[in-house]
Amino acid sequence: MITLTHYLVLSGILFSLGIVGVLRRKNLLMLFFSTEILLNAVNIGFTAVSKYYGDLSGQIFSFFIIAIAASEVAVGLGLLVLWYKRSGTVDLDSLQMMKG
Amino acid sequence: MEHILSLIVFFPLIAGIFGFVINKENVKTFGISVAFVEFLLSIVLWIAYDPTNSGYQFVEYSALIPQFGVGFYLGVDGISLFLVILSTFMTLVSLVALNIKKDIKNLVITILFLEMTLVGVFLSLDMILFYIFWELSLIPMLYIIGAWGSGQRIYAAIKFFLYTFAGSALMLVGILYLGYQYYLATGTWSFAIPDWYLLVLPFNTQLWLFGAFFLAFAVKVPMFPFHTWLPYAHGQAPTVGSILLAAVMLKMGTYAFIRFSLPLFPDASVYFLYPVAIIATIMVIYAAMVAYAQKDIKQVIAYSSISHMGIIILGIFAMNAEGITGSIFLMLSHGIVSGALFMLVGVIYDRRHTKLMSEFGGLATVMPRYAAIFGVLMMAAVGLPLTVGFVGEFLSLLGFYRVSWEITVIAGSGIILGAVYMLTLYRKSFFGKVVKEENKTLKDLDKREFAALIPLVALVVILGVYPKPILTTIDMSVRKTIQTMERKALLPDTKKFLLKVNSIGGTK
Amino acid sequence: MEKYLFVALFAPLVGSLFSLLFTAKEKNTITAIVTSALLLLSFVSSLTLLVSIHDGLTLHVKMMDWISAGNLNLPFGFIVDNVSVIMMVTVTLVSTVVNVYSMGYMGHDKGYNRFFTYISAFVFSMLILVMSDNFVGLFIGWEGVGLCSYLLIGFWYEKESASWAGNEAFIMNRVADLGMLMGLFLIYWQFGTFEYDKVFAHVGSLNPAIVTSIGLLLFIGAMGKSAQFPFHTWLADAMEGPTPVSALIHAATMVTAGVYLVIRASALFSLIPEVGHIIATLGAFVAVFAASMALVNRDLKRIIAYSTLSQLGYMFVAAGLGAYWIALFHLMTHAFFKSLLFLGAGNIMHAMDDELDIKKMGGLFGIMPYTATLMAVASVALCGVYPFAGFFSKDMILAAAFNGGNFYIWFALFIGAGMTAFYSFRLIMLVFFGDKVHKKLGFHPHETYPFVLWALLPLGILSTVAGFFEKPFEEFVTEILSKYEITIPHATELGLIFLTSAFVILVIVATIYKYNKGGFSKQLENMPIYLLLKNQYYIPKIYEEVIFKPYYRLSTFAWKQIDVKIIDFIVDLIAKTLYILGQKSRKMQSGNLSDMLRWMVVGIVALLALAIFYRPGM
Repeated sequence: MITLTHYLVLSGILFSLGIVGVLRRKNLLMLFFSTEILLNAVNIGFTAVSKYYGDLSGQIFSFFIIAIAASEVAVGLGLLVLWYKRSGTVDLDSLQMMKG
Repeated sequence: MEHILSLIVFFPLIAGIFGFVINKENVKTFGISVAFVEFLLSIVLWIAYDPTNSGYQFVEYSALIPQFGVGFYLGVDGISLFLVILSTFMTLVSLVALNIKKDIKNLVITILFLEMTLVGVFLSLDMILFYIFWELSLIPMLYIIGAWGSGQRIYAAIKFFLYTFAGSALMLVGILYLGYQYYLATGTWSFAIPDWYLLVLPFNTQLWLFGAFFLAFAVKVPMFPFHTWLPYAHGQAPTVGSILLAAVMLKMGTYAFIRFSLPLFPDASVYFLYPVAIIATIMVIYAAMVAYAQKDIKQVIAYSSISHMGIIILGIFAMNAEGITGSIFLMLSHGIVSGALFMLVGVIYDRRHTKLMSEFGGLATVMPRYAAIFGVLMMAAVGLPLTVGFVGEFLSLLGFYRVSWEITVIAGSGIILGAVYMLTLYRKSFFGKVVKEENKTLKDLDKREFAALIPLVALVVILGVYPKPILTTIDMSVRKTIQTMERKALLPDTKKFLLKVNSIGGTK
Repeated sequence: MEKYLFVALFAPLVGSLFSLLFTAKEKNTITAIVTSALLLLSFVSSLTLLVSIHDGLTLHVKMMDWISAGNLNLPFGFIVDNVSVIMMVTVTLVSTVVNVYSMGYMGHDKGYNRFFTYISAFVFSMLILVMSDNFVGLFIGWEGVGLCSYLLIGFWYEKESASWAGNEAFIMNRVADLGMLMGLFLIYWQFGTFEYDKVFAHVGSLNPAIVTSIGLLLFIGAMGKSAQFPFHTWLADAMEGPTPVSALIHAATMVTAGVYLVIRASALFSLIPEVGHIIATLGAFVAVFAASMALVNRDLKRIIAYSTLSQLGYMFVAAGLGAYWIALFHLMTHAFFKSLLFLGAGNIMHAMDDELDIKKMGGLFGIMPYTATLMAVASVALCGVYPFAGFFSKDMILAAAFNGGNFYIWFALFIGAGMTAFYSFRLIMLVFFGDKVHKKLGFHPHETYPFVLWALLPLGILSTVAGFFEKPFEEFVTEILSKYEITIPHATELGLIFLTSAFVILVIVATIYKYNKGGFSKQLENMPIYLLLKNQYYIPKIYEEVIFKPYYRLSTFAWKQIDVKIIDFIVDLIAKTLYILGQKSRKMQSGNLSDMLRWMVVGIVALLALAIFYRPGM
């Protein structure tokens, strides 16, 4: 029997993976993937809890997140392409102009 | 007459904005006329003021944030009336004496803006409004020191700004907390000072709030050991900045003690009486000693200000009508005298571009008129009777004698040490032979300088001989403040103390 | 009569303001003439007042309110009664003479107009001092004369020593004034007023300890102004001022203000005989102490200054012992002969191109006979030889000391009288007789202008005859001052007078004899006692080393070490800490996205931890 706990554990594992990805990856594209994983981990959590309580607002939230994630990726990839055209790399370390 | 206070507060600002369209050559004349009109307005206020009424007059109120009881609330009483006149008068005089050419337009407008904030501080009866003006006054002064100062002006300006600003931060917390206390007690919000006067606070709360307000006021006064911004600010500020800083801005702190600390926290004020008095005594003596060691004329006067402010604090904390009235009068007299002395230092600085005593000597021979005026003001500064300096100093010390004769004796040695540094300064710069070649051709005072200095010298003498009209007006409101204290005092000790210091005779 | 009071009081002020207009201009004789005329007017008014007061009038005028705050209400009030009118007459008389004298003495000075401004301002202040009906009014005059004294001592401000002496006088007086100010505060908080009438009316019902404190504090003020030990050093240094100033301020009038204060507050001091005793003892000490320094000094003016100091000691003895009218009498006679002595010294200085060393003079009698005569008259009056003025007043003081049973005070005064005789005639002999040392040194002395000598004549006459007014004077002033009963037998009193006179005359004769023979040998000058006296008991040196220099060092320490290195350092340290913190944390903002993400994760963890572990209200 798959219970709520399983879903939440899965969500946790995915979230951790995403975090590790965010921290370790230097490639901007990979960073986007990691963020997507993070968001999806949260989505899983939301949906599972929503089902568990029989409250639909969690699932609606998930939809919102998916929509926002999609638009974010669209803008983000656009910027990425632009950056690649300008600097010829998608490496994170090339973005250091905001140094304090 | 209904809106005269708003007019007095905002006239310089509005006129100052018009100043932007005046051309550069005429802007000083424009500034003088504005300051003169403003001064006349404050004189009209004095004439219209009813000296038999000790309460707030010409009160104006319009709500700003009604939900929180914040309002545009102005009023004047005997305590603030003369400080307002002092502000407008000193602004006028300092504009007359102004001879800076660089960015004159900005400077004149800044001074007018500063005038608005100073007058606003003294006239506000709403605590939030007061705080706004209190902090706003820093900005023009920061600009004046930073833009027209000399040498280390940026350091001095920033030090001045941050120090005083940091000091006030805690006061804001105190203000908000007091407002909240008022809300708890009455169910409505109010930041109006007359409302707060009705609020009786528990002793512990008083202690904390007294501390929060004290820091802000102490930095402004400036009290030892929070005084180190002052010598830098004076050292680097242009003459006009020093005049306004010493003559008016320092008085904001002592005024606030009388307006807030004493009537709002009577028990705490009595509780902290001795620590404050000891700090004040240290100020008097320590600053006088440091002044004696200075080599720069302006620094001597800067430190002498600290020394005099110590006596003002003592007078305030005497908590009797003699002491407080005396201390307010001393604020006025110190405003006039220190302003004039800074102006005189400016005169010599303009000619020689140095303020070091060792560069002078024998000035009495080359500039007799200058020496004479300096001499008169020096005597006022050391508190010679029949000059303006004596009345306030005498009354302040007289008042505090009732509290503690020991401290009065120690602080009274300020009159000795004051004579020591002032006479030494005078001797080194004015007496002796003219040694330096460049001093031999110095010009005596010109018309512009005379025009600025003569009114001050006249006031020094007139107010020294006949201070009564001012004293009685102040005294009325001071008595009312003391009554407020007596009414609000919680502890029997406080009541006993207030009764004792306000009566003649008895043991000891 | 009030108009005479106001004329007497304000005529000098008008004169001062008038000549003030000319201060920045060239020498203008009109200033001297106008001020002299106005001082004379003031003198005449004072005399008129004296006459009407003698007829039983007392003037008490309130001019206008000055200070009012709290319970304090302080008007400018003036009182002319038997005591103050005596002072007024003395002050205005001496000042008129000095003013006329100065027309000659200051004739070539470039500060001519300024000088007369100051002198008249001084007289005005002095009149306020003596005429006020309250203690604060007295204090106004007190400080006013202090200011004028400062200005006049430092009149030749280009001289380093003159301006230094001016500062010394002002500051030392300030020290004593603090004591007086405290006395005033104490009076106020006991009586609620400063007016003499009211204070003295209630002083009897006060706790004696408080009266003692008031008395002591007021006396501290008096000590400063009258240059009593330990405040005496300023008076000798004050001789840097022009000589007419020394005559007027530092001999006849201002320095006696302390004595006047004690006399004025006699109602208070008579309640506290133990304080009076202290005053008298100190006075006797100063009488001998100052006279001893005059014995060896070679400076013409300083000798007379120490003599003044010594005579002030006599006055304080009388005042301290309750013989107030005698003190006032001596004050008056002293004013006449001492100012005469100083003005005579001024003539000599003029003749000798401001040379002050009496060893460089000698034989001046032939050249300036009138001055010599006047000074001789003044000297015998000072020594107390019958029938000159000093005899009467000084012997009364000695009798009073003996009468009170204070034999040691009497003895001190007796010795002091001998010393006075010695130094006075040492001066006379060295200056006017003996070898003409000045010739070798190339001086060309000459007698001064006749009008100057004529101006001195009134003082000369008064020094001679004033003593005979003893009885009427006593009757006049004891109308308000307490009487002083001499209880010793008349024969004893006469014996004492005889003894003192004989002693004084003996010393005078011996001195004249000795100096005729060529004076004392040089070897004496190496004796330790001589050095001690010559260096004024090393007191100025001690003050310099123990007070002035350490104070300067302490001040510099306070500034350089405490202010800059501790207080300001701490302030800057706070600012610097914040700044350094900012510098360090700048590195967080590397601009690298992955660094930022890491910090973000740290933040998330921190917030999570907070959410898990922090439960408010649990």
